[in-house]
Amino acid sequence: MKRGLLILVIWALGGTQCWSEDFLGVPLLPGGEVTISTTDKVQVRYALSHEQVLEFYKSHFKASRDIKFRDWKAETYIEDQGALPWHSVRISKGQETVTVTITRDSWTWILGTLTLRFIGVFVVLLFLYVGMSVSGAIMSRLLAKAD
Amino acid sequence: MRIDEVWDLLVGTFYTTGIWAMSWKYPVMWAIAFFFLYLAIVKKFEPLLLLPIGFGIFLVNFPLVPLMGYTEEGVPHLIQFFYHYGLEWEIIPCVIFLGLGAMTDFGPLIANPKTLLIGAGAQLGVFVTFTGTVLAGFTLKEAASVGIIGGADGPTTIYLTQHLAPQLLGPNALAAYSYMAMVPLIQPPIMRLLTTREERLIRMKQLRPVSKRERILFPLIGAGIIAILVPAVMPLMGMFMLGNLMRESGVVSRLSDTAQNALMNIVTIFLGVSVGATMHAEKFLSWKPLLIFGLGLVDFAVCTAGGILTVKVMNLFLKEKINPLIGSAGVSAVPMSARVSQMMGQRYDKKNYLLMHAMGPNLAGVIGTAAAAGMFIAMFS
Repeated sequence: MKRGLLILVIWALGGTQCWSEDFLGVPLLPGGEVTISTTDKVQVRYALSHEQVLEFYKSHFKASRDIKFRDWKAETYIEDQGALPWHSVRISKGQETVTVTITRDSWTWILGTLTLRFIGVFVVLLFLYVGMSVSGAIMSRLLAKAD
Repeated sequence: MRIDEVWDLLVGTFYTTGIWAMSWKYPVMWAIAFFFLYLAIVKKFEPLLLLPIGFGIFLVNFPLVPLMGYTEEGVPHLIQFFYHYGLEWEIIPCVIFLGLGAMTDFGPLIANPKTLLIGAGAQLGVFVTFTGTVLAGFTLKEAASVGIIGGADGPTTIYLTQHLAPQLLGPNALAAYSYMAMVPLIQPPIMRLLTTREERLIRMKQLRPVSKRERILFPLIGAGIIAILVPAVMPLMGMFMLGNLMRESGVVSRLSDTAQNALMNIVTIFLGVSVGATMHAEKFLSWKPLLIFGLGLVDFAVCTAGGILTVKVMNLFLKEKINPLIGSAGVSAVPMSARVSQMMGQRYDKKNYLLMHAMGPNLAGVIGTAAAAGMFIAMFS
């Protein structure tokens, strides 16, 4: 019984440690603490600087054409614009520890962004419609006054 | 001279010809080139583009021809030169938009600006096809470039494809121009399917006259709004609006005339032959171009349906109903799809003149497709 519990504790603790593995083909730096691990998402915390982690991923994706690095205020967002099984790698900024979050490619994101952009086309043309209607009304009044 | 020396000379001469490097792929590409030349010359389908594209395909599909590569010193070959400066630098599509702007009369759109929404609805296929293209195994960037084919706007398709997935430039451009030419075959069955007889008989009020001041103001307002909302597409739309301002201002008729005719014709030659020349057998003969043609057709159909359905939704709220047949003109094949609306309308009512009404969504489609392209560029930048 005791031995069984000991094995369980070791397994449980071991499970939170991260070695040089990968998630959906994205490598994970060794020495991190896994905080979230599902089939769609992995989150690992490191006692490293943001620059060190970023450098690791930059050198890993150096040869990849369809990988985009976006430097945002709170994180660096690495996005796959190709056909890889993962969608993004997020590296947090501005904290003592760095959190790396890798997310699986999801149809929710694709369909969400497409719907948003389709609505965006409507918005653009709607603004143009309003602009034209307003200017048309002003022009008509001015011309009517001039007549 | 000894016999072996003569033999060496003959062999050496033989290796300077293309005969030894022939493969079965070249005749296949010649057949494809002849098919598009046939469409252009005999069927007169988009001849201004399909003829140079077809001949471009033919020219580059011979072994050893120095047209689409670089010399040992790194100097570009003839068509590579056109391609590099015209397409890689994204100049030609923008210059074509300048000419298109100078050729376009926005009067019907200004007179009835609510048709702008039809142009937006007709972009439905662009986004639906994106999903299908991703499912087919294309990358996201490739999917965006294939999706835009349904917008039925050649220069925008070329511009976006060159920006996101230059490896698909040939098949995408070819699919776009081919389907634009086939609008009269593709659209009518969809229009019949999605409209009732009563809807087809709707007569629309004659458009109001548009003053010169409004026409001059339109490119300024249009350029301003698009620049704020979709800055990524301003190289295209900026040129488009400049061309239109040159036309409507009436003070630079020489420039307007050059943009519409001489300049447009010159860049069309370079565009066509460069696009055709990207279709080398080694790159073209794969499953992707076939899929692009299949997806492009679906794209066109969904865009047509999107335009018609948008009119139907608008009619739920409007007092003066819009004939849904003009919805199909929301794809930006100008003026072909507007003509199809007119033709279909007259089939059911000889005295129903829909052409000018359909020009509104048709022009809105040009802006809508450009906006969709801008959305995609922004998505990946």
